[in-house]
Parts: sequence; C-alpha cells; structure tokens
Amino acid sequence: MLRKLYLLYGIVVLGSAGFAQYRGMSLDKMTELKNVPKSVRDNPGSYRAVYMGYHHYTGGK
Amino acid sequence: MSAGTPPLPGPPKPQAKALNCPNCGAAITLRSFQQAVTVVCDSCHSILDAKDPNLQILQKFEVAVGESRPFIPLGTRGKMRGVDYEVIGYQRRSITVEEVRYSWQEYTLFNPFKGFRYLTEYQGHWNDVVVCKQLPVVNPNLTSSTPATAVYLGENYRHFQTAEAYTKFVLGEFPWQVRVGEHATATDYVCPPRVLSSEKAGNEVSWSLGEYMYGVDVWKAFNLPGSPPEAIGVYENQPSPVSANVKAVWAAFGTFVALLVALMVFFDVTARKELVFHSTYEVISGESKAEASFVTDIFELKGRTSNVEVTTSANVRNNWIYLNYALINQDTGQAWDFGREVSFYSGYDSDGSWSEGSDHDSVVVPSVPPGHYYLRIEPETAPVHPPIYYTVDVKRDVPVSMFFLLAFLALLVPAVLISFRALAFERSRWSESDHPPIKLSQTEDDN
Repeated sequence: MLRKLYLLYGIVVLGSAGFAQYRGMSLDKMTELKNVPKSVRDNPGSYRAVYMGYHHYTGGK
Repeated sequence: MSAGTPPLPGPPKPQAKALNCPNCGAAITLRSFQQAVTVVCDSCHSILDAKDPNLQILQKFEVAVGESRPFIPLGTRGKMRGVDYEVIGYQRRSITVEEVRYSWQEYTLFNPFKGFRYLTEYQGHWNDVVVCKQLPVVNPNLTSSTPATAVYLGENYRHFQTAEAYTKFVLGEFPWQVRVGEHATATDYVCPPRVLSSEKAGNEVSWSLGEYMYGVDVWKAFNLPGSPPEAIGVYENQPSPVSANVKAVWAAFGTFVALLVALMVFFDVTARKELVFHSTYEVISGESKAEASFVTDIFELKGRTSNVEVTTSANVRNNWIYLNYALINQDTGQAWDFGREVSFYSGYDSDGSWSEGSDHDSVVVPSVPPGHYYLRIEPETAPVHPPIYYTVDVKRDVPVSMFFLLAFLALLVPAVLISFRALAFERSRWSESDHPPIKLSQTEDDN
C-alpha cells in the first residue's frame, strides 16, 4: 500500500516537474501587470516600477 | 440428496465426555476425548489425570485473588486457517526480567481430526502456534555481538530472548502433564511475522512455530463479542507496517531519480535557449533617476508559451547596481516587473582575503507568451561611483534545474521518512530483547 502510494506520489512529482519546465514556470519573484499603456515606450519615466525603493546592500564585510 | 434417502454411513460425530471431579464432584467435560493428558477442574482447581478412568488428582493449586479469566472462554469454537477448532485449555505463564514480571496467555485449541494448535496473547498481540514438524538448526552466537540464529524450513530466525517461563494458572485440558509452578527455559527466535520457540524442561526440548495475528482476526475467527484488547507496544514478531516497503520504496526512488535525470537531459537538449536580445549600457555618476530609465529595442519571443531568462552582467567592484526591470509586451500591454541587484565586494582583513556577491545575475520570467517585447530598465546605484557598464542578455526557453532539484528532494523526503519509521519500529522491537539497540546516552554513560 505504502509502495503504491509512493509510486503514485513519485509520478505526480515527476509530472509536476516536467509540466513546470514545459510551461516555463519560474520560482523567481516578480509581479505580473496587465494593460501597461503604450505611452511607456515613448515616456519610460512615466512607468512606476513595483520594485523601486529597494534597500540596497552597501557594506561588504 | 432427496428427502427420503437415508444418510450415508460415516464416522460417528465426536461427543464430549462428561465426568465428575473426584475432589469436589463438579461436572467436568472432556472435549478432547482420549487426547488430553491432564484436565483441570474449574471449581476446585484440581489438576486431574485425564488418562486415568478415576481422574486421579495430580495437583491442587490456589487461585490468586483477581486472577484474570481467559479472553476466549473454554468451549468456544472458531475457525483457524479454515479448520474448526475448539478452545479446550487455558494457561497463564510469566517470565521475570530485571525484577519485572511479564505474563501472557496460552490457549489450547483442538480439532478431533487435525489435533492441537495454540493461541498466545501478550498485551493485545496474538500468535497462532503449531508444534514444529522438524527440528530447527540452531547456530549459536560466535561472538557476543552477534545473536544466535536458527534455521527452520529455509528461513533464518534471529535470537530474541531466553528466559525462564513459569506456569501460574491453568484451566481446561492439556495434551501434556501440566502443573502450576512448573518452569521451562523458553527461547524465542524471530523472523517477523513468525517466531520460533523452544522450551527446555529437563532433557526435553520442544519447538513450536508461531505466526503473528491481529486481535481483530482472532475475534473474527471465534466470533467473540466486543472488541479485542488494544495492542500495546511492538511485539517480538509483529510485522512492521513499513519495513516491507522500505526496499521497494528505495527501488522506486532510484527509478524516479533516473527518470528525473532523463527528463532533465531531455529538456536541456530540447530547450531553445535562444538569445533574443543583447546590449550593453553605461550608468554615469550623477544622473537623476528620471533620466536613467529607458526602454530597449523591440525583440521577438517565438514558439510556445515558455520562460525568458534575463541576465545582467556588470563591472561592479566594491559597488552595486540595482535595476528595475519591466518586460513589456508591446501588443497586449502585459508586463512582468522585477528588480535585480548586481553587487560585488572584496577585501582583505586579519582572516585573509574575502569576497561576496557576484558580477552577474540571472532571473527567469515565467510563462511568457510569444510576441513582441521590450524591456524598460531603470538603473540605480551609489550617488558617487566610477562608470558602471552592464550587459543585458535575454534568452528564450531556458531549462530551470531548480524544478528537478525540488523534485529530487520531494522524492527523497518520503523515502527517508519511511526508512526512519521502519528503523524506529525495529528499535522498539529489539529494545525488549536480549540484544537491545545501543542507545547514544548509554554509550556516553559508558565513557
């Protein structure tokens, strides 16, 4: 029973990994936006970046 | 057979024989006919010679106050291994280990055509026991660290425990000269779900083979009311619910890992990894943010919906650059907004030279449909810095090894957990034996 469950689980894991790769999924953090106006191309400064204001590391050791 | 046909002649149906106890006169029923050697009077607890027509009294014993009664009453009939048996005898026996007494029950079962078999019970763990048909071969332990083994019918049994077993209480009929207070050296060898037991009394050694049974199966076999006593702990020959699966699970794990590697190679070979954009830019010290943001040329992403890798390489030395990226579909307005930092620091101190960070960074944008895209880039860096040159590469459809690493871990974790569970079960089993597993705290105490 346990072996069958593991076999089923393994197939799901393999299938998920294959599906994620095929669909081009990613684990990186980002924000998806809709309907960004075409004017951004002419006026890039009008676009409000989601990740602005990031606290940068400025130290070193 | 028609209604008028007389029954066919056959062996007469066995009938129980009724007698009276010579001590107290109470009725005694002999259920095993001529097979029993001794019978115990339930009223006065006299052990009688069943072979003697006058039922000679062999022993009288006192019953302790609160003596437990058998779970299966004498005379109960049930089906064991497809054969009808009747419970004709009951005894309670015990061993004492490290001043702790452990008691168990033994039931004698009888079928007039098949003979005797036995049922034992200890803390809710049951065994179906038969006398061995041939003599097992015992291999004594050559070193103290190696337990002795016994071979019976091609199966290897490991020595579990040897102890002096005392008979404390008897009831019903027995195919041997039973006595309360008699003792024998009992040795158990296990090969779950079986246990091979030897009992040595004087010069006589008898061997029996037991097979683990669950209480519910015993209750079902004898159609007993209520539910069986709950099993406590792990018994010596109790089959592990997981041990049998460990090898199979690891074999499956190996197969899955091989398939995973094959899958990874397949995607690595078939991925387009197409460089669709490449450009180098410079960040000049003192530029304002508004002036810094710009858009790239339009590039085309072809093929099915797939990922996009954006790689940034910069000549940062004890410096950093942060890039607000937006990958924008020119036609639909769909965009992916993300920020990436490239920083690299190095130096030298009392510990020696050190470095941290990297001069390049990669990010994978998920599930990007085909179309025409451009990047909006807004770089940030320290207010005062030497000129920083950075290169942006955009690749279509790249393999992501992290999925396969996660899949590997997802496959590994249950296999490890199952193995640990099996190990814990075996440790629990052998902790009650003459060969307990070494405990870490014990070894520390020894030192």
